[in-house]
Amino acid sequence: MARGLGRYILIRALMIIPMILILYTIVFFFLRILPGNPILAVVGTKNIPPEQLKHLEHLAGLDKPLYVQYFDYLWKMLHGDLGVTLASPMGKPVSSYIALRLPATIELTIFAFTVSVLLGIATGVLGAVKKGTKTDTTMRVYSIVAYTLFIPWFGMMLQYLFGVKLHWLPTSGRIDPSITSFHPITGLYILDSIIQGNWTALGSVLEHLILPSLTLGIVLSGAYTRLVRNNLVDVLSQDFVRAYKARGVPDRKVLLYALKNAFIPVVTLMGLQFAILLGGAVLTETTFNWPGMGTFIMDRISYRDYNSIQGAVIVFAFFVGVISLIVDVIYALLDPRVEY
Amino acid sequence: MSRSKLGLLVVFLVVFSVVASGCISGGGSSSTSPSSTPTATGSEKDTIIIGVTDKVTDLDPANAYDFYTWEVLNNVMEGLVKYKPGTLEIEPALAESWEVNNDSTVWTFHLRKDLKFDDGTPLTAKDVVRSINRVMTIKGDPSWLVTSFVEKVEAKDDYTVVFYLKHPTAYFLALLTTPPYFPVSPKYDNDKIDSDATYGGVGPYKIVKWVRDQELVLEANPYYYGEKPKTKKIIIKFYNDASTMRLALQNGEIDVAWRTLRPTDIKSLKESGKFNVIEVPGGFIRYVCLNTKIDPTKEVKVRQALAAAVDRNEISKIVYQGTVEPLYSLIPNGMWSHLDVFKEKYGDGNIELAKKLLSEAGYSESNPLKITLWYTPTHYGDTEASLAQVLKSEWEKTGMIKVTIKSAEWNTYTDYARKGQMMVYLLGWYPDYLDPDDYTTPFLDSEANSWAGTGYENEQVNELLRKAQTITDQNERAKLYEQVQQILAQDVPYIPLVQGKLFVVTQKNVKGVVIGPDMIFRYSTLYKE
Repeated sequence: MARGLGRYILIRALMIIPMILILYTIVFFFLRILPGNPILAVVGTKNIPPEQLKHLEHLAGLDKPLYVQYFDYLWKMLHGDLGVTLASPMGKPVSSYIALRLPATIELTIFAFTVSVLLGIATGVLGAVKKGTKTDTTMRVYSIVAYTLFIPWFGMMLQYLFGVKLHWLPTSGRIDPSITSFHPITGLYILDSIIQGNWTALGSVLEHLILPSLTLGIVLSGAYTRLVRNNLVDVLSQDFVRAYKARGVPDRKVLLYALKNAFIPVVTLMGLQFAILLGGAVLTETTFNWPGMGTFIMDRISYRDYNSIQGAVIVFAFFVGVISLIVDVIYALLDPRVEY
Repeated sequence: MSRSKLGLLVVFLVVFSVVASGCISGGGSSSTSPSSTPTATGSEKDTIIIGVTDKVTDLDPANAYDFYTWEVLNNVMEGLVKYKPGTLEIEPALAESWEVNNDSTVWTFHLRKDLKFDDGTPLTAKDVVRSINRVMTIKGDPSWLVTSFVEKVEAKDDYTVVFYLKHPTAYFLALLTTPPYFPVSPKYDNDKIDSDATYGGVGPYKIVKWVRDQELVLEANPYYYGEKPKTKKIIIKFYNDASTMRLALQNGEIDVAWRTLRPTDIKSLKESGKFNVIEVPGGFIRYVCLNTKIDPTKEVKVRQALAAAVDRNEISKIVYQGTVEPLYSLIPNGMWSHLDVFKEKYGDGNIELAKKLLSEAGYSESNPLKITLWYTPTHYGDTEASLAQVLKSEWEKTGMIKVTIKSAEWNTYTDYARKGQMMVYLLGWYPDYLDPDDYTTPFLDSEANSWAGTGYENEQVNELLRKAQTITDQNERAKLYEQVQQILAQDVPYIPLVQGKLFVVTQKNVKGVVIGPDMIFRYSTLYKE
């Protein structure tokens, strides 16, 4: 069985490679089909002499044939090099930006993910247990409302209420900039502040995390609420549950058994949600001025910085691939019917 | 086995939830303690936090070529000369005096003797020469500001620098105020761009912390030759959008909201009475480009008619809520040689004149002029769509023009413009140096205006502009620029619309905002009461 599992993981891991390759190809050509190039976008209305523009295009390698650019980048990518930025400041490694921005997105994603799962499960269970009552209706309405909330609007409402009106929480950023005793190490600020034993920084980082992760977490929790509720209602009506009840097993224990069974599809959703989370993070990051990958990509798209966009998309794809793999493995372990 | 794994998963989730809920409640409660309140206004008086939506792109003056980065460089570096705060008058900076030969091709500067970089290293003429040569070697985006003018630069002794120019350049001092001419610390490589360099030069501040796109921390430079900054530490916080920055200001997270709040935000912050709203005249101009090579805008009467129908006061009021002022020439209001040529020739919102010109060009209500107006949705803020709508309605008031509006995002837009593919389109201009030359040559000189895509060519204008570049007498130059402006109003390859005003919104206790016509915010005069 363990050998089978190893093979399953290996095959699934190998599948990430063609996925990234296809995505790279699509992004590469799609970006270049669009009119404009990074040099012109940066220069914009500046009166740079034409020979200067040509020189800058040459430096960026944009004067080479398209297929050469494609394979050049692919070759670099295979060697773990994501190229250099083409927009200003030209020539800086894309990986240095990703190293700076990715931890911010990961931190936000973990917190938002936790909020969404906890809230989703709690509201879903409540709905299922109180099936047919007002509470159930409320939970169902919650799931729809949460799912349809527009992140920038909802985020701004929270910023206004908890920031501007109540002055409880900061509205933007990752840490109070006046805390100069804090120095990022891994880029995961919570971890970094713990390593440094900088509790002021830790407090500030947590404060800054609350509103963005609540915003994103609440919006994504709606899907869990619905799924957990429906699955649990389904499981609770199955024969084995009735058998437990007939034997006098306490309700709480019955619920726990039922939850275990209802949890399998939720795990699948978690994997899918992770990709959506990264997408939602783009909007949340913009709303809360969170210096993560989302704002980086948005910024770079407007400057058509080919290498930065390609690099960021590849890293995103890699992450989604790895998370899906982990989820699939957990799923396979949870559900004995899955063959590998 | 799966049972134990499931158990593990449950444990993991529980731990995770405890940590998360702990974090959430912990964060919430800690926020109520006075020591960690997010309000930065409570921060010490020697720190001021400034919010901006602009980005610092490149801390190397050999490669930096955007307005906000130039502002930061102006606070951590200085050139041989600089603008006197709040004016267009050039005063000594690193150089205490200078001479120029008769045809303004050889400029000799005498440096101060007490100059030091922020680490205490003395600055001599060799550093100036090395920095200029560095810009010429690296050939970064703004290097043309040096290479197009400077033939060579020499250090005669430790305190004397001589520039030999390629051709007479009357406005060379204005060029010297730009960052490519700033002497940089010897730590910068001679032939490589150092985009994240924090070594700086000789300026009132030095960079102590730099997290790209997040924050920049400046501290007073202990070796600065001039007056010490009033506030020891300046923190710049970078925002992705104006709404978030406005909320941060309202929540007290920042002391100053600078470039760029939206007109609606400025209006409501002003009305709230809780903040200082400081208005600064800006050299930023907005204009319509008219393609002189394609039909129907290649017909001069069509261009004149479009110019006549524009009502700048309406644009200022409706689109910008009064945060801009009408502009009737490409040379901005307040700059020497400026003339309100468009107002004199066409008036403002002169529909009758527009109709007359259109009739002369062969158009009528039954045979209307059909034009396509282009705009770019975000590059100039989110007021652009409304600017296009207002222009459309103004032109259509004639009853003889039908306007179709199209838009393209910035990258595509600049490409279309450079290729001359658009007929009528909106652009804006931030000056490189403060001289009428920078508002005329790049637009009207047929060898310099390819970026704008209007295809405008007029040999007489070319000659006037080139002559104006070589004469040193300002009165003589002004006459030439006045002539150029008259021809501009006659030929109408551009319709000037408005000139930007800049707004600084601060908490009530922040004072000392001084921003001159160069639009550079020098943080050293800022202080908290």
